[in-house]
Amino acid sequence: MTRNSPRILLLIVSVLVVFGLSAPAISAEKMPIKVLAVIAGDEEIGRLKNPTGLFFDEAKKRLYITDSGNKRLISFDNEFKYIAELSHEAMVLPASIVRNKEDNFIFVDASRQEVMFVEVKKESIRPFEFLGVPQAGEPFYPGRIAINRATGVLHVVDRLNKRIISAGQNGKFIRAMTVSDKGFFGFNDIKVDEADNVYAIDSVGGVLYVFDGTGGLVSRIPVALSGVRFPGSLAVDKNGLIYVTDMQGDMIFVFNRAGALQYTLSRPGVKEGELEHPSYIYIDSEGRIFIIDGDRIQVFSESKG
Amino acid sequence: MVNGILYSAANRVRLIKPGGLLFCALAAVFSAAFIAAPDAAYSAARDLRDLCLGCHKEVAAYSSKAVVHRPVKEGQCTLCHSPHASKHQGLLKGDGSALCYGCHDKKNFAGGVSVHKPVMDGKCSACHNSHASDAKGLLKKTGAEICYSCHPAEDFKGKKHVHPEVKKGNCTLCHNPHTSNSEGLLAEGRAALCAKCHKTVDTRAHWGYDVAGSDCFSCHSPHSSDRPALIKATLHKPFEEKKCSACHIRGAKEVSESILSTCASCHKATLAGFNKIYSHLISGADTKSCSACHAPHASDGKKLLRDKETRVCFSCHFSTRDSIGRSKVTHPKLEMCTSCHTSHGSNDRYFLSSGNGGCSTADCHPAQGTFTHPVGDKIIDPRSKTPMTCVTCHSVMGASEEFNLRFKKDVDLCVQCHQL
Repeated sequence: MTRNSPRILLLIVSVLVVFGLSAPAISAEKMPIKVLAVIAGDEEIGRLKNPTGLFFDEAKKRLYITDSGNKRLISFDNEFKYIAELSHEAMVLPASIVRNKEDNFIFVDASRQEVMFVEVKKESIRPFEFLGVPQAGEPFYPGRIAINRATGVLHVVDRLNKRIISAGQNGKFIRAMTVSDKGFFGFNDIKVDEADNVYAIDSVGGVLYVFDGTGGLVSRIPVALSGVRFPGSLAVDKNGLIYVTDMQGDMIFVFNRAGALQYTLSRPGVKEGELEHPSYIYIDSEGRIFIIDGDRIQVFSESKG
Repeated sequence: MVNGILYSAANRVRLIKPGGLLFCALAAVFSAAFIAAPDAAYSAARDLRDLCLGCHKEVAAYSSKAVVHRPVKEGQCTLCHSPHASKHQGLLKGDGSALCYGCHDKKNFAGGVSVHKPVMDGKCSACHNSHASDAKGLLKKTGAEICYSCHPAEDFKGKKHVHPEVKKGNCTLCHNPHTSNSEGLLAEGRAALCAKCHKTVDTRAHWGYDVAGSDCFSCHSPHSSDRPALIKATLHKPFEEKKCSACHIRGAKEVSESILSTCASCHKATLAGFNKIYSHLISGADTKSCSACHAPHASDGKKLLRDKETRVCFSCHFSTRDSIGRSKVTHPKLEMCTSCHTSHGSNDRYFLSSGNGGCSTADCHPAQGTFTHPVGDKIIDPRSKTPMTCVTCHSVMGASEEFNLRFKKDVDLCVQCHQL
């Protein structure tokens, strides 16, 4: 190599760039999306105000949204037409929500910082009682919840104790899941797949954790290293791909189970198909992606191929 | 004569005028040769340093300075400067730190978890002279004086009791000036840093409590204080009254109940503030519940915060800090997060204390919303299908346009909704 070699190399690279032969971009592929619906409410049913949770009932093909600012639970059909709403004196600030296979709702009420149980047939709402949960230093304040509909096992984020509590339908404690990583801030969102794997995200730490059905930690995905600035929520599709919303970057990052970034969805903005502070994501069995950003819910599908 | 350039005895440059195809051919040969071997192009000329110094007489004075940048000393002016033309000021070959990183490894200066703002902004010349200086490291001023040109000295040594090293102006004893893996550009973690000079095994100084490994900053101000032993300004009442067992198990570091319950035993009413849609019932990486933000013993800030308000907030919301840092226009009073946000809980997004329309307060923007573009629940943004608020047009924390607008105010902003 002569001392002029780098300059000659520079000349060659410059020529390659000029003729379009430069190296491929390192950023992840952007997958096009199709907007299926934008649910924001209207004058008739009222505008949504700070919606914070949603759940799609696969059996009944109904979408339930906790319209927290309006203190109500509203339902939509499979084509996202409004069906009904539920409000109750015991439902003050409904947030995270799931529905079990007996068609009863379980939600977190932010005004009480408590998990509540809605027995639909009896039209009653009462606290969901957890039994035998071991103490972990701080009092139990529930964060988001997820349910395995087949088994009825409920998973709840225990915010102050930085762990996930799993309990049976009867509230009986099954296990607690946590990590001892340095720089672990606690879990913000959780989801569970059909195989009972629990996926949880540490929004501040920027790490996604996967636990198996026995509560063992099987995967640790540092999503921040892939460019996710503030991972607010996650969802898993039927192919095992993990979708993470970036509340600061205003898009969705899609990872495989091994933690490799596959592609991204959407872009920052407020138009249909764009995202601004996407705070919650849910994916149904048809692969439809439900996103809460601001006072609306957008429903996307990926336009693959 | 080299490649069509002739250096005259008077150091002036003359280009031989070619014509037609000959010009193109010569230009091509010259370009290739210049890219491939610019040094060769100069080799027949006079000594480069003499060449530049012929006009730039001030450079000669650099040799009298205590520290001279190596390329200057060696007459390698073209290492940084382009002799003919440049799009950068001073005929520099690059802009800001990009030029410096050509020789100085970037990771040594910007590779840590926390990075000094001028380094982050690529402004090496904020602290350093590029040619020569009388101060070590080519600094523009000596010792702490360079630090005090941005960080007012009064903030560090303006109190009754001053840390001896601060008095000496020895900032770099504790701080790395460029980058660090600890907050506040500290050379090490807080406890380890203090323990390098201070013995923590002496429990007499701490009423019998073993404080080894504890965060000293939890009670002591590292720079100066009006209290002896550099104890911070505001004291938690039980700490001030030396009633340790009001919170702690007697003789132990542990609190008698959970941290939340211990705090709530006195601050009962505060708990209700967390029962909101958006709640800060959280724990830190090394702290739990209340102690994630509050210091249990002493503080230099309000509400017994562990640190300055922005530092407390940005210790988790660092992506917000970064996005503010990238913004051309930012909102005033950003150093006071709680002027707009509530810290425990809110029923409005972003933990706003008075909702998205909370900008139109008497203290801040009293007239907004009354005569400008209509906003409110009945005015729907056709793009998002949600009600318009101040943040529909303004990106409050930071934006690229004046008035914190999301788009250019002349046309781009309006056509978002109003089609031409």
